[in-house]
Amino acid sequence: MATVFYDKAVVEVRLGDQKEQLLASDCSLNYTASQQPLYAIGTKGSLGQFPSAARAGDVSFSFLTSITGNFFGYKGNIINTLASGIKNNVTNGSETSGVEIKFAGVSGSGFLTSYGLGVAANSVSSSNASFSFFGSGDQLPFSGRLAPADGVVIDSDGVEGKLATGIAHGRYTDLDNFATVLTDPADTANVFGAEYSLSLNYNPIYKVGQEFPATCLYTNAQESVTITEDVFNSGLPFEGLGNQQLTLTVSGLPAIIPGLVTPVIHYPGMEIGISGYKIVSTSMSAGLDDIVRTQKTLTAAY
Amino acid sequence: MLGRIRREAEKITINGSGIQGAQSISAQYDSVGGSPLRNLGINEIQYAPEGPQTATLQLDTLLTHTLSSGGYGYTSVDTMQNFTGDVPFSGIIDYGTENLYFTQAYLETYSVSCSIGEIPQSSTTSVIFGDLGTGLFDSWNTGTFLDPISETVPDLNVTSYNSMDVNLDEFSTNRMTSFSVDIATPRVPIYVTNNDKPTKVVPGTPIEVNVNFSLDIDDYKIKNMRFVPEQTVFKDTTITLKKNNSDVELLRYSFNNMLLTSESFQAEVDSNAGINFNLRSFILR
Repeated sequence: MATVFYDKAVVEVRLGDQKEQLLASDCSLNYTASQQPLYAIGTKGSLGQFPSAARAGDVSFSFLTSITGNFFGYKGNIINTLASGIKNNVTNGSETSGVEIKFAGVSGSGFLTSYGLGVAANSVSSSNASFSFFGSGDQLPFSGRLAPADGVVIDSDGVEGKLATGIAHGRYTDLDNFATVLTDPADTANVFGAEYSLSLNYNPIYKVGQEFPATCLYTNAQESVTITEDVFNSGLPFEGLGNQQLTLTVSGLPAIIPGLVTPVIHYPGMEIGISGYKIVSTSMSAGLDDIVRTQKTLTAAY
Repeated sequence: MLGRIRREAEKITINGSGIQGAQSISAQYDSVGGSPLRNLGINEIQYAPEGPQTATLQLDTLLTHTLSSGGYGYTSVDTMQNFTGDVPFSGIIDYGTENLYFTQAYLETYSVSCSIGEIPQSSTTSVIFGDLGTGLFDSWNTGTFLDPISETVPDLNVTSYNSMDVNLDEFSTNRMTSFSVDIATPRVPIYVTNNDKPTKVVPGTPIEVNVNFSLDIDDYKIKNMRFVPEQTVFKDTTITLKKNNSDVELLRYSFNNMLLTSESFQAEVDSNAGINFNLRSFILR
């Protein structure tokens, strides 16, 4: 019997020769083998259950938005690097390969299907990600067995307790570039928070003679970001504005490095580029003992 | 050598007014990063602020001193009562040679109470959205209004239980032994991203007012508990605090259409029969 407590249930993502252990707050893994009963005229019961689809699985987890990593030139975490790379993938024929996900001793090659993060005033930012596992050739979607795995120390300096400088936080995240600005009369919104989500779609290519797909093609992606603020723009455009681009930058606590002339060091934030967005909805709502808060949702497609 | 600090070396100054008659002062903050971040595979302890950082200030004072009426932009002669509106305050607590500063404090509760043989006492709790601590703050204004060197010292005007008026028609045959007025003024801080202090503090509404009386009774009639709607009782209440042994009015607490919300009866072997009742009203800002 493998008894694994949460402190040994590491979630790790490997992308090429780089990997990151994510600060996951939950993780679930599902593995399914679809079976379909067959019936025939002349027999009362079923002839049996037979596979109706290839075995497949998925992993989904939530994690603290870490921004200590630097992967292939992207500052932030490895999931953000992966998401940015896939959604902008237009050069290699859209054929894509999975990334290795390890969770408490079980691993597989997964395809990022959704990614999101939320940031709000005075709160630690949380992200989430989901992967689909199709397997490939002779490779099973998952392998390994439940086993404990130690986490690594992000920034090993021998200090037991310290401030989390590598975690995105609403206190240090500037979202003013998303604020609604109105003219006549002039008004600029205060931004209270943002929710970002990205969904990605794939087309695994199956061929006769083998269970798992021969290859997997990335097809398209949609992303949206919902901004909570305090100005309502009733002038929602029908066609939107062309070639709009915004960068969602989330930042963490600054580091204190004694001995420097300026001991407070602000590390660069994690960036999410949103290209060709349109504002697709605006809303406003009120509850008791609160101000009226407005929301607007921007979407982009790739 | 070990030393100690006693009351003669302690002082609180609020918006330039030295608070006199203070009985107790309590200022407290809690670090919002008190719990570590936790994750699957946790292998190190890291902290991060989780939620806005606020502090609280509690102040209990005897109503022995009053401001000059209408002076310094105040409407009430009781310094703390002036902050039941939407105005914040700042202040300094001196203890020994140290100073504890606080900024952007908002009153959340204001209470006045008195029993037979007592000097009326006010109790307040405030929430601090600005800073609290020693040292220098960017937001600390060292202008004359906040400068403790130029502080205003209120005048000595002792209120007393023996020189107060209560206009409630129950008291001709029943004796009031104590009262309290409790005012709750809710605050709604509005936080935005990239800022640890609220950009705005909205004064919540309605303000809840509770007035409690204790009576030694003679012919007081408790209402039927199923009094709605036939015996629903609304009362106007005015409590006037005067200078000790005089007719000089210092403070007046007046509320209209207060709803009688509860009554309780007590009888014990060695005391008079007593009644406590509560009147409640809500005031929209």
